[in-house]
Amino acid sequence: MLTTSRRFLLGALAGSAALAGCGILDREPEPAPQPDALQPLLDEALTLAASYDRAIVAQPDLAARLTPLAEDHRAHATELARVIGATLPSAGPSASAPTAGDTTATLRKAEQAAQKTAVAACKAAPPERAALAGSIAACRATHAEALR
Amino acid sequence: MTEQLAAALAAEEAAIYAYGVIGVHLEAKDEVSRARSADLEHRARRDALVDRIDELKASAAPQPAAYRLPFEVTDRDSALKLAVHVEDGVAQAWRALLAVTEGDERVDALSHLTDSAVRATRWRRIAEVTPLTMSFPGRPG
Repeated sequence: MLTTSRRFLLGALAGSAALAGCGILDREPEPAPQPDALQPLLDEALTLAASYDRAIVAQPDLAARLTPLAEDHRAHATELARVIGATLPSAGPSASAPTAGDTTATLRKAEQAAQKTAVAACKAAPPERAALAGSIAACRATHAEALR
Repeated sequence: MTEQLAAALAAEEAAIYAYGVIGVHLEAKDEVSRARSADLEHRARRDALVDRIDELKASAAPQPAAYRLPFEVTDRDSALKLAVHVEDGVAQAWRALLAVTEGDERVDALSHLTDSAVRATRWRRIAEVTPLTMSFPGRPG
């Protein structure tokens, strides 16, 4: 308890010193962590999976066709979260009400846009991440094809 | 990178050989023309790979004297199955190039990986094989 409050006090002092520009401890404030370069791919994967879930609820006869595509996106999200070191929001099909918005045509457009994000991520990625981003880009392209 | 380029060359050569066999067993006009355009695409990539390997002054891995098909092709069904198989194999070879290339060369490798993955999806649809897609095209195993 004592240690904690002492540490807190020291921290507070260091903070005010830095703010005052005294530079006694010359400590930089902690920079806000940069979002991981693959985070947009992870966000898109989750958004796309949820779009497929809604489309399936709205049009159950498309379930056989759309379910494997939603599963691909969940597999991407799992792998990306592992690489980034992020925690996925608790799984389970999104309970959101079906909307008329998710048709195979809009899904196809969303896949094509998401493919572009993944291509850019692959191009910019360090070698050890290039293959993952590349496979995700290729998979999104196959989804656009499967939705024809 | 030369090792991965040689592997891609071997995969493209195998695809060209396979499409020769596949074409014999297809009859429907659109299927024949799809096989023909795939064959042309693989030949163009083969030629580009030969040039690139030459540019790097690396000698390509010795080509096997004869190609062996992974299974017997006797009819349309087995021909379509072979088409899916070779496109998956080519996708794997190009994916392996992503980690050892950068910039435009990586974008090219990705476009070949993507093209083969999309072709495999089309062949699966024609063969009525499901699922049509793989989560990680080109990932071995």
